[in-house]
Amino acid sequence: MPVRVLFFGATADIAGKRDIEVDAAGSKTSRDIFDEVVSRFPRLASHRLLYSVNQQYASGDEIVRDGDELGIFTAVSGG
Amino acid sequence: MDFCELTTDAIDMNSVARRVVPPECGATVTLDGYARAFTKQKDGSTRETLYLVYEAYDDMALKEMEKLIEISKDKFEISNVGIVHRTGRLEIGETSVVISVAAPHRRAAFEACEWLIKELKRTVPIWKKEVYADGEEWVEGSETP
Repeated sequence: MPVRVLFFGATADIAGKRDIEVDAAGSKTSRDIFDEVVSRFPRLASHRLLYSVNQQYASGDEIVRDGDELGIFTAVSGG
Repeated sequence: MDFCELTTDAIDMNSVARRVVPPECGATVTLDGYARAFTKQKDGSTRETLYLVYEAYDDMALKEMEKLIEISKDKFEISNVGIVHRTGRLEIGETSVVISVAAPHRRAAFEACEWLIKELKRTVPIWKKEVYADGEEWVEGSETP
């Protein structure tokens, strides 16, 4: 089971989809996956992005395993 | 009772405010955040918004709201907190978020409510799209967690 990457708002518009699957083989960190996704959708790089692992804000150092859920999004604007 | 919820329905502010009230409390402060028609742009001009669309990362947003409630109860002398945030399309003037804080004394309730909305806008994964007559834009927050 690969890693599921979710997009919201501006990142979903850029990716043209709401989620993708990424292979987590090897001991990849959340930053590795994040970088991989940004290189796949280069327009993401023009935004200030945040990401999460399993619904918690990520530091970048987390080891991501199959079945984990990554969220990639812009700075939040609720309220 | 503490609670946090996401809903696509119109929010009834009074019912949110009533649900947080325990018998030992003397004051409830309730924030009614709603969709604004005119937004100041970075260049200083104002632009008219026709309507808004809010989108949430539901599971994470609820977790982050729960965290905020927990921290606020440690930080301030308050009894209960209720947060309801709306998602989907909102017309101008419709309520997007309600935060109700009940406390034995009003000062703590005011302070906690202000702290909660400030933190919500910084940390809870919800995004707002402003739709104008001539385009639309996802708003990006100015502060990050």
